[in-house]
Amino acid sequence: MPADSVLPPAESVATPEVLPPPEKHVGVGGAILGAVPWIDKTGAVGGVFRAIRSLFGGMKITGGYLMRPSTVVTQQYPENRETLKLPDRFRAQLAFNHDENGYHKCTLCRICEEACPNVSIIITGREKPAVSKKELDSFVWRLDSCTFCNTCVIVCPFNVLRFDGTFESSVYDRRLLSYTLNQYAGPVASVLEKMEDPEARKAAMEARDPYSGAAIIAALIEKQKATKIAERAAREAAKASRVAAKAAAAAAAAAAQPEPPPEAEDVG
Amino acid sequence: MSWPVKTIAERTGDLLPGSPWTAALYVLLTILAVTAFMTVTGLVLIYAERKIAAHFQCRLGPMRVGWHGVLQTIADALKLLLKEDIVPRDADALLHILAPVLSFAGMLLVMIALPMSPSLQVADMNIGVLYVTAVSGLGVLGILLGGWSSNNKWSLLGAMRAGAQIISYEVSATLALLVVVLFSGTLQLSGIVQSQEAGWWIWRAHGCGIVAFAIFLIAGTAEINRTPFDLAEGESELTAGFHTEYSGLRFSFFFLSEFLNMFVLAAMTSTLFLGGWMPLHIGHFTVFNGVMDIIPPGLWFTFKTTGMIFLIMWFRWTFPRLRVDQLMRLEWKILLPIGFVNLFVSAACVVTGCYFFAR
Ligand code: SF4
Ligand code: SF4
Repeated sequence: MPADSVLPPAESVATPEVLPPPEKHVGVGGAILGAVPWIDKTGAVGGVFRAIRSLFGGMKITGGYLMRPSTVVTQQYPENRETLKLPDRFRAQLAFNHDENGYHKCTLCRICEEACPNVSIIITGREKPAVSKKELDSFVWRLDSCTFCNTCVIVCPFNVLRFDGTFESSVYDRRLLSYTLNQYAGPVASVLEKMEDPEARKAAMEARDPYSGAAIIAALIEKQKATKIAERAAREAAKASRVAAKAAAAAAAAAAQPEPPPEAEDVG
Repeated sequence: MSWPVKTIAERTGDLLPGSPWTAALYVLLTILAVTAFMTVTGLVLIYAERKIAAHFQCRLGPMRVGWHGVLQTIADALKLLLKEDIVPRDADALLHILAPVLSFAGMLLVMIALPMSPSLQVADMNIGVLYVTAVSGLGVLGILLGGWSSNNKWSLLGAMRAGAQIISYEVSATLALLVVVLFSGTLQLSGIVQSQEAGWWIWRAHGCGIVAFAIFLIAGTAEINRTPFDLAEGESELTAGFHTEYSGLRFSFFFLSEFLNMFVLAAMTSTLFLGGWMPLHIGHFTVFNGVMDIIPPGLWFTFKTTGMIFLIMWFRWTFPRLRVDQLMRLEWKILLPIGFVNLFVSAACVVTGCYFFAR
């Protein structure tokens, strides 16, 4: 795995303002401890002074925060919507990395789909007549079940996925929380770049919008429903056959008293 | 410069021979003023605590209600007043209702003895220090009753912790207080303030003052149940401790008395060790003293008390909470011996007159 795929391609990780490390503090306790050489610095009395020193060290840190209002990290969200500053590694919505031509590099390897702990990624491929391999049809990401664990971003060998800061995702229908992330269905960037004819490229790319995934989810749900209905029908059939077998067994028992029918248990 | 002390009680006494009705009206106005003062102080303290705590933790605190959230505590107080007041079915109803009142009364009774300025003190007893020590014990009674009557194990545990803690730390606080009584030679609170005309006891007493100040501050913080000594209500251990079962107005009584107790502690500390309303004087430096006298005594009291309150808040938002055994060890094995030694040393200082600007 290439090292740069461990983190999302964050533009720049700003170094946070670093406070002086606490060991450097020479508070009142430290001054006393230094001035009195006969105190055993590791013993009980030295421990008291070390405790006092660490208390002063803590007060220095909190006092420093109080004195510098620039350290406040609170965002006043609805008011500062225009100037909102999000942390670089904030995980809000999964997004596809499309290059400047709008091409992506997803090879349909399905590693991310396998790695996702709760099946929040559903990938469908399609056969492409021009190229012998399969290519991406739709990459559906379900915000409603995603745990934002970042695993998919880390495992993707082609650095296709990233988390971006689009966090205003509330909707009134949870079906709208399934997004298709790829902007087109078609071959990867390297294949597209090899095509000379722009018309051929255009023909290879079929546009996808974020909500073409909803249909897929609906289809999945329909499929689940159908499975359930089929299961229920199977159960009912089994029950009916069991009842019929019992009745048959009872009839057989009435006909021939001495021997109970052995099949009665097997059906259940 | 002399500081004639005139208390509100004395003024009422002066009015009494003329017309008892005027005196009664004066008393009524005083009660109203004290109530208003306490309410406003409580609200301001709660707002200040929330703001300061927020900035200690890189947050902003209340920002929405009013300019920078100044009306937030008023909104919260109104909300508390409108909340349903619940007495649990299995609780001891009488004690449950009585407990917050007792807790509040303990704080209120200390408040009337505080010398805020030569002309602003409700009553000035000649045994003021003894009185303050005695009535502040009422607060722990309220906490114990509150925990006991709630019929809830968390409340009971919190109350028992609070009882053990407050009674233990009262010993150290009183020992530290006695140092000041020794030096000033009086139990009267205004007398203690007047005795610091040449300088505050915290530095005049040759180190004994600083030690006593530290002990009093630590023990006092423990007595008002604030972090790092908030075992009585440690929310990670006991949900809310002794006031788990309280809601609405009665909860707000507990809450308000907790915050006003902080004010009382800060005021007592500044009265005993930082000269109360007495301006900063240094011995016989008349010019310096004259310059300091320009600022009126009431403002001095306000400055010092505010400073102490800020320090206590700073403690709260920095220090981690102690365990119960650490709490008891700190009191009985560290503070108490130091307090006793300090008391003996200061007694020796007073007998030999070995302190700054001894008379
Ligand atoms: S972040 Fe985790 S849960 Fe969400 S889609 Fe990626 S792997 Fe699945
Ligand atoms: S996003 Fe990455 S890991 Fe997932 S299928 Fe595409 S190339 Fe593979």
